[in-house]
Amino acid sequence: MSTSLHPVPEAAGEEGYDWRRLHPVTPALRGWKVVAAFLAVIGFQMSDTLRQVADALGPGRAWLVVLGLVVVVAVVGFAYSALAWRVMRYAVTDEAVHLRTGLLFRQQRQARLDRLQAVDVVQPLLARLLGLAQLNLEVAGGSGSAVQLAFLRESEATALRAQILALAAGLGPQAAATAVPAPAGPSAAGAPPQGAVAGAAGVAPAAAPVYEAAPERQVYELPMGRLVHSIVRSVPPWFVVVALVGGVAVGIATHDLGGLFVGVPALLGVGGYVWNRVNTGATFRAAASPDGIRLRHGLTETRTQTVPPGRVQAVRLTQGPLWRGPDWWKVEINVAGYGTEATNESVLHPVASRAEAAVALWLVLPDLGVDDPLATLDAALRGRDDDGGFTPAPARARWVDPLSRRRHGVLVTRTALIMRSGRWWRTVVVVPHERTQSLGLEQGPVQRRLRVATFVAHSTPGPISPRVEHLDEHVAAALLEQQARRAREARAGAGPELWMRTAGADLGGGGQVAGAEPPRVVDPGVSTRPRTVAPSRPSSPSGWWRSPPCSSPSSRSAPPRSCGSPASTPHAPRRGSPRWGRATARWSRRPGTCSGRVVGTCACDATAGGSRSP
Amino acid sequence: MTTAPTAPGPSAADPFDLHDVAWTPVSPRLAAARLLVLGLWAVVLLAPTSVLAAVLGIAWLWAVPGVLAALLLWGALLVRRQVGALRYAERDDDLLIRRGIMFRELVVVPYGRMQYVDVSSGPLARRFDIATVQLHTAAPGTDATIPGLPPAEAARLRDRLASRGESRLAGL
Repeated sequence: MSTSLHPVPEAAGEEGYDWRRLHPVTPALRGWKVVAAFLAVIGFQMSDTLRQVADALGPGRAWLVVLGLVVVVAVVGFAYSALAWRVMRYAVTDEAVHLRTGLLFRQQRQARLDRLQAVDVVQPLLARLLGLAQLNLEVAGGSGSAVQLAFLRESEATALRAQILALAAGLGPQAAATAVPAPAGPSAAGAPPQGAVAGAAGVAPAAAPVYEAAPERQVYELPMGRLVHSIVRSVPPWFVVVALVGGVAVGIATHDLGGLFVGVPALLGVGGYVWNRVNTGATFRAAASPDGIRLRHGLTETRTQTVPPGRVQAVRLTQGPLWRGPDWWKVEINVAGYGTEATNESVLHPVASRAEAAVALWLVLPDLGVDDPLATLDAALRGRDDDGGFTPAPARARWVDPLSRRRHGVLVTRTALIMRSGRWWRTVVVVPHERTQSLGLEQGPVQRRLRVATFVAHSTPGPISPRVEHLDEHVAAALLEQQARRAREARAGAGPELWMRTAGADLGGGGQVAGAEPPRVVDPGVSTRPRTVAPSRPSSPSGWWRSPPCSSPSSRSAPPRSCGSPASTPHAPRRGSPRWGRATARWSRRPGTCSGRVVGTCACDATAGGSRSP
Repeated sequence: MTTAPTAPGPSAADPFDLHDVAWTPVSPRLAAARLLVLGLWAVVLLAPTSVLAAVLGIAWLWAVPGVLAALLLWGALLVRRQVGALRYAERDDDLLIRRGIMFRELVVVPYGRMQYVDVSSGPLARRFDIATVQLHTAAPGTDATIPGLPPAEAARLRDRLASRGESRLAGL
């Protein structure tokens, strides 16, 4: 390890890691941030001082001074960025991603791949124009991203993501040794010679194996029209309209429109809100892949998120009063890596139709653990009292919650806990049993008199905090005990952190591979699986949400086979939907890799992040 | 397949008393420590307000120290019961903590969910020979704090939790 400002020499890094540098344009992009920040500061904070200085110096020289100052700051900013770039290195090994930063204070960070919670490829506008991208690795704990690689060439970023996901999935070099023989198929043309993968330090980067990105299948996308419509149907714009109308009315009445300017900050605030909604919700697409859920969105700054299987801690579906007419739902998730600040990253679907909400939930939880998931979901979304088998709050709870008492309810399925609440702002929270962290019971003095208690399930930091208010106290206590046991059993049967490790050929949580699509029809002949079965696995070929995607409403009436029939023709490329027909045609089935994952559907034919030589 | 949480029946009087759970109370020295803290507050709050009332000679100003004294007295009476209500239990797979009389809480923390354990003891706590054990999970909402443990018990609990957490280690 070198000292001072000298970077670590190539290929001589610690323990022979393959240390790599970020793209050389990085300092230019980062340096501009320093200049922009400086300009913003002097623009907003010191304008008065500047004017005084300018007056003192005279009109001509003032500009020169300002310009000189900006140039100095720019030089310092760019020089610092360049030096920081020189010392910044990253390396990917089989177990971790290493990052070295720090000009004066050296920092070496190691993010363990088996603790990987999410991988995002972010492209801010400027970087996108230059064909660069930023790679964020999210690991639980801490604030912000654990490892942020900015900037890489776009192709490099996606290749690195594929490599990291493959390694995190357990498809690294070691796994290759026991990997299933490659099938004869286009994808496996050059089977996996991963033996020589990342361990080969000193080898020219060109010789490094190329990890193929896991195949993915788009399951829904948000039409722009609906996004705009949904914003119109949200409260803040109407608030401003009402305020404006009121302001104008008052202004006309008093013949003084000056008061309207008070509304400018509010208008700006709402403008920011609307812009944020449009910017993050535009082109929102979700895809299922063996590496988990893949979300793409963003107008100016695009973001591609990959949340591996089993990393979603909780799902929440919410609907405000204005969205009730079109039956739209916002679907959010708790992912340990994103934390509470990343509200834009925690969205699984900004404006989902009922069918898409079911798809979104299915992405997280392929097996809801009930015979008729759609009916259960329906009861959760708009039911009251004991609809759909929910355990509601008792009638005496009306004294503490007269308005939404009848919506409070809880349902325990084989795989998840479903919590329902909210009369006008309807909310449904789903927590998979194996993702339960700790549980709690709370009871205030009034609740105690009414013999009701609140059940709380603690989840990782995020937008969702699951709880059921005002259950009968004995029911709540029983739920607490049973849920503690259920969570324990579910954890024991849960899949490994390395989600593609086929140790027991049983990959829990792997169902995110898109076996099929949500559900219109559920085969009544299919019996539920025994309790001993690990949850969150796609429940067999004849599982519940098995009907083909065709998520567009128009195609819902199509015959079920149109999108490929599960279990029947695993080798045949799917034909129904042109969107993913092309993609799946390229991947043929790899029995071993897929075995527990998708069970008998073509979609699992993916090589799933497996690597192959170019 | 869904399961409705069923109550064991009206026989179980207190739902917070889970059946088959042997609760361990915390050290009563915690009550003494908290009483001392209350006493310090009493000095800090009552002395200046009383002096102010006496100096200014305004009769109704005595209401301030009066109300404060009443609150502190109430708190002092409550402390003992609160500490008495603070209990924990180690089960095979999880740790239970219950607290509170008026606002009651019960927390179940599975050992496998534990990320780390803290044992802390401030100067006052050390004087009273007690320590606090706190369990942390990946969820910030988990409030699993056991104050008022004798140091030996705290160390034993910490080691036990750590070893159990290790044997039942799970991801997030």
